[in-house]
Amino acid sequence: MSGAAVPDVVWVATQAVPSPELASFDHATRFGLRWQVTPLLYSFGTHRSARRWRAFIAEPFTRHVGSVELFASPEYMAADRAEDRASLRVGTRSYFPIASRGEYLSVSLGASYSTLRGGGVGYEAGAYTLFGVIGFALTYSPSKEAATWIGTLRFRYF
Amino acid sequence: MDRDAAIPLLLSALTALSASGCTASRFAGRGMAPLFSTPREVPNKIASPIRSDARVAVLWVGHATVLLQMDDKVFLTDPVFTGTVGELSRRLVEPGIDVDAVPAVDAVVISHLHFDHYSMGSIDALGPKIRRLVLPGGGLVYAADWSFDVRELPRWSTWSFDGAKITAVPVRHVGWRYGIDRGWMDTSFTGYVFEYHGLTVYFGGDTGYEPSFFRETARRFPSIDLALLPIAPLEPRDFMERNHEDPREALLALRDLGARRMVPIHFDTFVNSLDEVGDAPRALDRAAKEMHLEDRVERLAIGEQRVIVPRGARDAAPPSRAGRRE
Repeated sequence: MSGAAVPDVVWVATQAVPSPELASFDHATRFGLRWQVTPLLYSFGTHRSARRWRAFIAEPFTRHVGSVELFASPEYMAADRAEDRASLRVGTRSYFPIASRGEYLSVSLGASYSTLRGGGVGYEAGAYTLFGVIGFALTYSPSKEAATWIGTLRFRYF
Repeated sequence: MDRDAAIPLLLSALTALSASGCTASRFAGRGMAPLFSTPREVPNKIASPIRSDARVAVLWVGHATVLLQMDDKVFLTDPVFTGTVGELSRRLVEPGIDVDAVPAVDAVVISHLHFDHYSMGSIDALGPKIRRLVLPGGGLVYAADWSFDVRELPRWSTWSFDGAKITAVPVRHVGWRYGIDRGWMDTSFTGYVFEYHGLTVYFGGDTGYEPSFFRETARRFPSIDLALLPIAPLEPRDFMERNHEDPREALLALRDLGARRMVPIHFDTFVNSLDEVGDAPRALDRAAKEMHLEDRVERLAIGEQRVIVPRGARDAAPPSRAGRRE
């Protein structure tokens, strides 16, 4: 179907690009990396006669024009203990367009659960520009086991 | 760092990139430099563009944006009224008409999805004035949930309404918006033919020279009153020529289409090439003289309006088909 995104080598390559982050964890600031996968997205901002559901491949317009998604984020953190270095964050996030239907500026709000040290809930907010490709997201976790604050410079295409 | 210090540093970096000789960096340097300048003003902008003395009138807003009047119908092509396209390329000249002065538009057409042709901010600004939006086939995936009617038109398909018809016609270009989506956005580029009350206007959007496309369009639409044809970007030619007509090729397209008149578009509004302002219209003037087509070319300034078919005085005979390239 013309206009429908298909998984090609470009999509695979962009999925592999990590977003760098800094986390306050174990009384220190740690460097980390986060990847993004979107198992399911519903775009409430695209045209009503267009297909609104996406699985794994969500174009930037579809996401930043206004959407809600389930996401999974494998994370790596440069922690002292080996068992703290790899974790998985799963959650839900909504995007809202601010300028030029989200292509110039959009924001997001979300909640997630991280497997780091037995698990903890996090809340996040983000802002994105350049068609959603570049953004910054801040995650806060009230759980003392998780990283309290994580600032992520997000590079994401799909 | 304050703005006064940042701007020279940025400009220095861009200049250094430009001096490197790399085509991509020269594009980037030229495209971003106007970010720090003010677009040239358009004097005496038209406030009431509907002409009672016209059957066909054209107002060039800039780039591929044309306000087209056909009797009591108003069409707008590839509307861009924003200060930048793609966030990083600023206009050289302000739009030729203020958004407030744009009348209700029966249909907005989008030729393809590049930022200098499909501007979300501009469509939002025009929003309440738009009755219909036409996208190229496959383009609906990049449509927002606007309140007006939106349709995509695959090649040779027609949308009829209120006695008017808009038909998608083939051009040679590309359909992607973000570059990285080129793998599947492979049909969303088109030209259009407007028909109303026996009048016919062709809009080429952005196209390379493909004579078979123009001749087939002429076969199906044998009496085109006006062709809106892109004449730039020009340089670097080996990079541009596949998807962009130069002025001579635009004149060949005029012949192929058998159109009575041509209005050149798609030049001197944004920086999207290595061209200098004025290169394309000068080349057009030279080529039109050599090809003896000066009397069929209506070159407008940005913000200028011209009556192509006056009311009560329909153009005489169509141009000789002998003039077409076979």
